Amino acid sequence: MSKQLRKPRGGRQAGVLAAVLAVTAATATACSSGGTARQDDSRPLEVWIRQDAGSPAAESAEALTKAFTKESGIEAKLVAVGVTDFETKLQQRTAQKDLPDIVINDTGQLGNLVTQGLVREVDRDGVAGSADLADRAWEAARGYDGKYYGVPFNSQAFALLVRKDWREAVGAGVPRTWDELTELSVKFTEDDPDGNGKNDTAGMVIPGSTTRGYLTWWFSTMLWSGGGDFVKERGEGYAAAIDEPASVEAVEKLQAMFCDSEVAQPGASTADSSATHTFFESGKGGIYLTGPYMLPRFDGSLGKDKYEVIAPPPGAGGEAVLAEGENVYLMAGSGNEKGQQAYAEFAASPAGQRIGLGIDNGGIIVRLPVNTTVDGAAERKDPRWETFQEIYNESGRNAPALPNWSAVRQLSSEGLNGVVSTCSRDVGKAMGELADELDAELEKQGAKGE
Amino acid sequence: MTATEARTSPGPGTRRPLRAGPPAKARLRRAATPWLFLAPALLLFLYFKFIPMVQAVRMSFEEVRPFLGNTYVGGANYAEIAGSSDFGAAVWHTVVLAVATTAGSIVLGLALALLLEGQTRSLWFVRSAIFLPVVTAMAVVAEVWRVMYYPAEGGALNSVLSVFGLGPSEFLNSPDSSLASIAFVGVWRGAPYDMMIFLAGLAGVDRMLYEASAVDGASRFRRIWHVTLPGLRPVFAILLTLAAIRGLRIFTEVFLLTNGGPDGSTEVLLTLTYKLGLERNELGVAAAGTVLLFLVLLVLTVASRLRRREAR
Repeated sequence: MSKQLRKPRGGRQAGVLAAVLAVTAATATACSSGGTARQDDSRPLEVWIRQDAGSPAAESAEALTKAFTKESGIEAKLVAVGVTDFETKLQQRTAQKDLPDIVINDTGQLGNLVTQGLVREVDRDGVAGSADLADRAWEAARGYDGKYYGVPFNSQAFALLVRKDWREAVGAGVPRTWDELTELSVKFTEDDPDGNGKNDTAGMVIPGSTTRGYLTWWFSTMLWSGGGDFVKERGEGYAAAIDEPASVEAVEKLQAMFCDSEVAQPGASTADSSATHTFFESGKGGIYLTGPYMLPRFDGSLGKDKYEVIAPPPGAGGEAVLAEGENVYLMAGSGNEKGQQAYAEFAASPAGQRIGLGIDNGGIIVRLPVNTTVDGAAERKDPRWETFQEIYNESGRNAPALPNWSAVRQLSSEGLNGVVSTCSRDVGKAMGELADELDAELEKQGAKGE
Repeated sequence: MTATEARTSPGPGTRRPLRAGPPAKARLRRAATPWLFLAPALLLFLYFKFIPMVQAVRMSFEEVRPFLGNTYVGGANYAEIAGSSDFGAAVWHTVVLAVATTAGSIVLGLALALLLEGQTRSLWFVRSAIFLPVVTAMAVVAEVWRVMYYPAEGGALNSVLSVFGLGPSEFLNSPDSSLASIAFVGVWRGAPYDMMIFLAGLAGVDRMLYEASAVDGASRFRRIWHVTLPGLRPVFAILLTLAAIRGLRIFTEVFLLTNGGPDGSTEVLLTLTYKLGLERNELGVAAAGTVLLFLVLLVLTVASRLRRREAR
């Protein structure tokens, strides 16, 4: 390229740069935060749910929203925002300062939503039918400051899906303790329970990836049953507890599953839940701790008669099973706050909960009803759901109400992933380091108790 | 560019027009024409690239709370990310991956190009077949490799290893072999791309030099060393620049194959940024990470341009 042609370009570049800066400055000044929006009780509501568009679950949510409109006369439009990019889409709308009116999302997101100022406070006693909703479900709608920031909609607990045919093949009973469970998983791994003559079965199916904190999520039940914890309440706030003796002992047992007895499936330390679902349904895994929402899928792929649902056995710390769920969040800046509340009340009402069970179309958005007047297992005519309900009622335990639980979950999963991937690592030392990291994170969140 | 030149200056004979110069209006129009053609693309770039970039720089100095309003925190985000041990490890893994993938791709790409240079119809077919990994979507490639890397006896690659009495290897699943396994996928995918650029470069090497060196009795290896490689120097410059930038931006492979695990052994800059921003919700710190990456890439690009200009 000749010099003559190149010469004027510098000047033009500067011009373009100036234009870019001018436009950027203009957009920057245009952004300023607004106060409470003007209220209009007839304004249509925009409802977001974390389900893939076109899925049966999205259909159930659509049915729920239509029933709400019929009941209340308030127009509402459902948007099924994909499971994978829900947070990104919400961030985009946040940046535009135009949030949907209602978001139905994980209880685990509550701390983050509150910290970001995206949700309105809910007056628990002011919610119609509030007393009928389970206390445990309300607990999952409570923020770090003790106030409520959502109305419960769906809850769930986890249970062990155990290959019944394998258990009978190796001649073992239903495990009653964690030790028996571990023994069973060893038998499943070593005794060729599927009888194909190959050493290709794994006793325990574990999503050990750090993606979305899966390992923490899976390990919570084992840790809590053993009397350990990630963080525990101390003083006005929380402090790391993962380095305490009971926690370390539980983590050592976890490490043994990967390194010693090797009952975890191959590739467990990088497996996310989609990998573990596939592994279990392909008939290579024996024991899988997961939620009730997997029953329809495994009934189809594996067969209903092949596996049984049992409660995770109690440990030294008694019974404690991870409980989760979804809340109806009333998003900030809505132009129809009365409509928001009405939607949340309808979703939690017996009528709303029954639609969410998805009995007709298989689109389950309410796994275990939060409304105690609805008997989900009876409605479904499937006693296995009763097992899940009992686990939730008797030993369900919510994740701690931190300002940002997902950060703690992420850090913990990285620390745990370290000890299961590197078998030579000393658990006590590694958990000491993790505890320091957790304390630093709590400090940053302003939730560190002395 | 050549077309415009041809139109505005029809030939050396008519270079100087009869008039003193076109009127100002025509000159303005001529200057504006290319910009008008570029305008749609530039507008899109402005809106989807440049404005977000500037916003990311701004976010890197703030605690990001989009709805409540961001608060300025100065260099705290930079201090946090640069000070964390995760960041140091991520930089190291990124550099190792970039160097290994680049070196492997160039060596293998050159070897393939030398083997497959020529006009024969069958070569065209083989070249296309070898090029396939480049045009296949990374998501598909990663999923296929995850299956092939299955870390137990039944796995595809482990079956091959067992023929030679080796394995089973843990591949992606062990902190010792995970990074190498990802680099291998990178080479498998990058080498055919490099091969294509080498093939273009080889076409420009003067045939006479080969013949002359053959007459002088140079061996095949010496011909490659003294004729081909010096002839390919500009190609190497392009490939190294491209590879360095591509290597530092590596994300999809790692995200889909291991997502930084096991034990953080494959955490690279962008997976770390992704986790900070979208999993821990610390968008300001994540933005600081990307700004640092941007600065490194900027320095690399400018340096390589300056070097090329000097070389000319």
